Amino acid sequence: MTASTSERAARTVGAVGRVALFVPCFVDQFYPRVAIAALTVLERLGFAVDVPESAVCCGQPAANAGFARAGDAALGALASAYARADRVVVLSGSCAAHVRAHAAGRVAGRAVEFAAFLHDDIGVDAVAALGARLPRRVGLHIGCHGLRGLGLARPTELQVPPFNKLRALLETVRGVEFADLARPDECCGFGGTFAVAQPALSAKIGRDRLRDYTASGADVVVSTDMSCMMHLGGLAHRAGVSLPMVHLAEVIAGDS
Amino acid sequence: MSDDVQPGAARTAILRAVRAARPAPVARPDVGAAVRRFAERRDGAPDDSALLAQFVAAARAGGSAVVEGTRADVPRLVAAAVPVARRVVSQVAGVVGLVPMPDMPHGLADAELFVCEAVFGVAENGAVWLPLSRLGERAAVFIAAHVAVVLDRRAIVSDMHAAYVRTDVAAEPFGAFFAGPSKTADIEQSLVVGAHGPKEFTVVLVGDG
Amino acid sequence: MPVATPTRRAALPVVDAHAPNGAPVDHAAAAARFTADEPRTDWHDGALWFVREKRDRQAASLPEWEQLRELASQIKEHTLSHLDEYLIRFEERATANGIRVHWARDATEHNRVVHGILTAAGSRRLVKSKSMLTEECRLNSYLAERDIDVIDSDLGERIVQLRGEPPSHIVLPAIHLKKEEVGETFHTHLGTERGLADPQALTAAARAHLREHLLAGDAALTGVNFAVAETGGFVVCTNEGNADLAAALAPVHIASMGIEKLIPRAEDLGVFTRLLTRSATGQPVTVYTSHFHGPRRGQEMHLVLVDNGRSVQLGREGFWRSLKCIRCAACINTCPVYRRSGGHSYGSTIPGPIGSVLTPGMDLKRYGALPFASTLCGSCAAVCPVKIDLDAQLYRWRQLVADAGHAGVSKAAAMKTTGWLLARPRLFRAAGAFGRLALRVLPARARRLAAGPWGRARDLPPAPAQSFHAWYAARERAGGAAGRGEGPGA
Repeated sequence: MTASTSERAARTVGAVGRVALFVPCFVDQFYPRVAIAALTVLERLGFAVDVPESAVCCGQPAANAGFARAGDAALGALASAYARADRVVVLSGSCAAHVRAHAAGRVAGRAVEFAAFLHDDIGVDAVAALGARLPRRVGLHIGCHGLRGLGLARPTELQVPPFNKLRALLETVRGVEFADLARPDECCGFGGTFAVAQPALSAKIGRDRLRDYTASGADVVVSTDMSCMMHLGGLAHRAGVSLPMVHLAEVIAGDS
Repeated sequence: MSDDVQPGAARTAILRAVRAARPAPVARPDVGAAVRRFAERRDGAPDDSALLAQFVAAARAGGSAVVEGTRADVPRLVAAAVPVARRVVSQVAGVVGLVPMPDMPHGLADAELFVCEAVFGVAENGAVWLPLSRLGERAAVFIAAHVAVVLDRRAIVSDMHAAYVRTDVAAEPFGAFFAGPSKTADIEQSLVVGAHGPKEFTVVLVGDG
Repeated sequence: MPVATPTRRAALPVVDAHAPNGAPVDHAAAAARFTADEPRTDWHDGALWFVREKRDRQAASLPEWEQLRELASQIKEHTLSHLDEYLIRFEERATANGIRVHWARDATEHNRVVHGILTAAGSRRLVKSKSMLTEECRLNSYLAERDIDVIDSDLGERIVQLRGEPPSHIVLPAIHLKKEEVGETFHTHLGTERGLADPQALTAAARAHLREHLLAGDAALTGVNFAVAETGGFVVCTNEGNADLAAALAPVHIASMGIEKLIPRAEDLGVFTRLLTRSATGQPVTVYTSHFHGPRRGQEMHLVLVDNGRSVQLGREGFWRSLKCIRCAACINTCPVYRRSGGHSYGSTIPGPIGSVLTPGMDLKRYGALPFASTLCGSCAAVCPVKIDLDAQLYRWRQLVADAGHAGVSKAAAMKTTGWLLARPRLFRAAGAFGRLALRVLPARARRLAAGPWGRARDLPPAPAQSFHAWYAARERAGGAAGRGEGPGA
C-alpha cells in the first residue's frame, strides 16, 4: 500500500479511514473467498474494516417474492447492525440496490456497492496502485440491479454517454483484455426466487448468457454479483464448461 | 345508439370514476421550448440542401423511389416511373388520369397508379403530408398499386415537431403522413413490400433548384 | 334492442384463451413447455432481439432521445392527472367534427355499443384492423355469436384469427409462428399450394384474399393510437395500410379506444410519432400515420371511449403510471422472459412486462402469477419511451399478490420462515453450517435433489468448510487484520 493511497482514503472516507463491510448471506455461506478478498482490498487501501456479526441478509429474496414485510425484519436487523457506520460497503449489486431502495432513513444513504465505492469514493488511480495483474480475456457481468438500479454502467437501452465503472476498474489491472459480448447487458436469468420459481426458464436464460461468454472467447467472467455467478457457475458446472466466475474483489486482491 | 338503459349513464359513470381517481396534478410541459432546445443541440437549423439530402436518404431507406426534375418534367417523370400504368387516377395538373374520380371509392379498386401533390416532406423519416384536399378521395392513395407524389424540393421540414407546426392536421377531415410503399413483416419478420396498399411509392421532387 | 339469435356457428374457430373467471394462469408451467423446444426458443428469442437492436439503432440516431422520453412521460402524466377535463373537451370537439362519441364502462358495454352501431347500419361484415382493445373486450366472439362476420385485416392478426389463436404480441401478432406454419394455415383456409412457405408469396396470397374482404366490408373498425383533445380527432398508425383502406371504403367507421389514449394537443403528436415506431419496430415512422377528424362524405364515423378498469388503475397510487403506455411493445421485445416464453404463456391479452402490470388489477387471483414472470432486470423500464417504472410496479404487484394469499401456500410459508431466520443471525449461521455440511457429505445425485428446483439444471457451488463469518471470527481471535490466515477453501 502506498502512502498516497492511504491519504486519499482518509481524505475521502473520513479521518479514521474506517468502513463497514456487509457480506450477504449467500456470499458468507458459499463464497467466503470473495468476502476475504474484499476485506483484503479495503485493508490494503488503508481502511479499518468493521464486519458486524449481527447482520445476515438485506431481505431482498423475501421482498422480491412478495413478502416485503418478512424481508423487512432482516433489513431492520441489518440497519441496526450498521447504525453507527459512516459507510457500508455492500458486497453485491443486487443487495446494495435493495438496501438503497428500501431502507430510506435507516442505512440506505450510507450503503454503497463495492465497485461503486472503489470507483467513486476511492478512485481508479488508488486501485491501480494496488498493482493487480490478470493476464486473461475477461467477460464482464454487471448484475441488472447494479447496472440499472445503481448505475454501475450505462445500460444499452439508454442513449447517454457510455460509461462502465466495472470496466474502468478492470482497466487498471495489468494484462486484462476484454471479451466483446453480443448482448453486453442481457440478464442472466437468476432473478432471486425466480431461479427456483421458474427453474426451466431461468436456466434457459442463463445458458444463453453462458453461450455468449464462451462464444466471445472469455476465459474468465468478472462480476460484482456472486448471485449471478452462482447461477451461471452452476449451469457451467452442470454442462461441463470450464469458465471461472470471480468477483472483482478477487481480481484486485490478486487471488484469482 | 347504444343499449344504455339510461342514455348517458356510461358517460356520467366514467367521468365520475375518472375524477375520483385523478392523481395529483402534473404540469403540462412546454413542448415548444423543449423542441427549440433539441434544435440548439443540433448546432442550429440545417440548410435546405442538407434537409433535402436527409429527406431523400430517409425516403429511399423507407422503400420510396425518388426522382427529380422541373415541374414541366412531371408527366414524363411519372410515366417513366410507372411505365405500364394505364388506369391512372390523377390529382395533378398536367398528368392525365384516364380514370375519373368515381363517386364511390370502390370504383378505384383496380387503379394502377394514383398521382397527387404533397404539401411537404419530413427530412428525418422521408414521409410526405397528404391532406384530403390533395387526395380527392381517401381510398385512392391506399388502393392503387402504385402511388406517385409530387413534392416541391423546398418544402422539406426537419422533423415531426416541425411538421405539426407547419400544418394544422385538424384543418381537414383526413390527412396522413406517408412514408413509402405498404409493408409488413408479420411472417417471420421478413420484410415484404405491398401488404395491402401500394407496392411502389415514388416521390417526384420538383423545383428550380 | 333485441339481440339476434345466432342462426349459425361462426365460420372460424373461436378460441377464447382469455376467458374471465378462468383458472389462474400458470406462467411457469407454460414457459417450461415453451423452453422445452430449445431451438424454437432460440429462434423466437432471436426474432425479438433483432427488433430490439433495430430499436436501439433508431434511438441512437436521435441526440434528444432521452429528452423526448421525458417529454412524452410528462405529457402523459399531465393528461392522466386531468383526464376527465380532456375527455369532455375531446368529446365536444369530436362531436363538432361529425364524429359520434360513445362511452363504455366495460367490455360488454363496448361490445354492445359496437353491435348496436352495426345493427342500426345494417352491417354484417366488419373489417377490423389491429386493436388490442377489441381483443381485451373479446369483440370477435361476441359479434360472431350475433352472426356478424369479423375479418381481421392486419396480416399477422389474420393469420392468428384463421388459426383460432389470440395474438402472441401486441405489434407482431404472429411472431410465434414459423413461415411453414403460416403456409399450412393458408393452405387450409386460403387454398394456397401445400408447402408454400415464402413470406413474399404468402403475403401476396393474403393481400388478394383480404382485398376482397376490404372491398366487401360494410363496416370498418380501427384502433386508436392517439386521440387529440384540442382537435377532436384521432391518429392511427399502420405499416400495411389495412386500417386506412378499410376505413376509407366502408360506409361505417368505428374507432375503439381506451380512455388513456388521449393527449392534449396536436403538437404533442410530434413527440409521440417520433418515439412510437422507433421504439416499436425500429423504423423512423410507420408507413401510414393517418389523422381522422371527420367522416368521409356519406360515411358514419363513431368513436367508442372505453374504461374497462382504466379508471380503477388510475386510482391506484403505485400503478396509475402504467396508463402512460402507448403500446409500442418495446418492453415486450426486450424482456428476457417474454423472448423465451412466448406471448401465449402469459394468458392475458397483453403479454410481457406491461401486460403484467396492467392485467393483475383486472383479476388478481387469475393473473397473480404474472408479476412473478420477470427477473426484475429493469430493461423494460429503461427501454420504455414514456418511462413507465415497470419493474417497480411488478415488485409492488408481487406484494399485493402475496398479501391476498395468491402467491402459493408453500412459497408463503417458506418465505416467512426464511425472513424470520434471516433476522436471526446465529440461528441462520447454524442452519448454514448444517446445510454446507450436508452438501459436502452427500453424493452428487442427492445434492441435486437437495437443491430442489435449483438443482434440475444447475449445480450448487462447492460448499466451503467454513463461512466467511466463522473465518473472520477466528481471525479476530487471532489478532485481527495482521493475522490474516489461510482461507477456508472449498
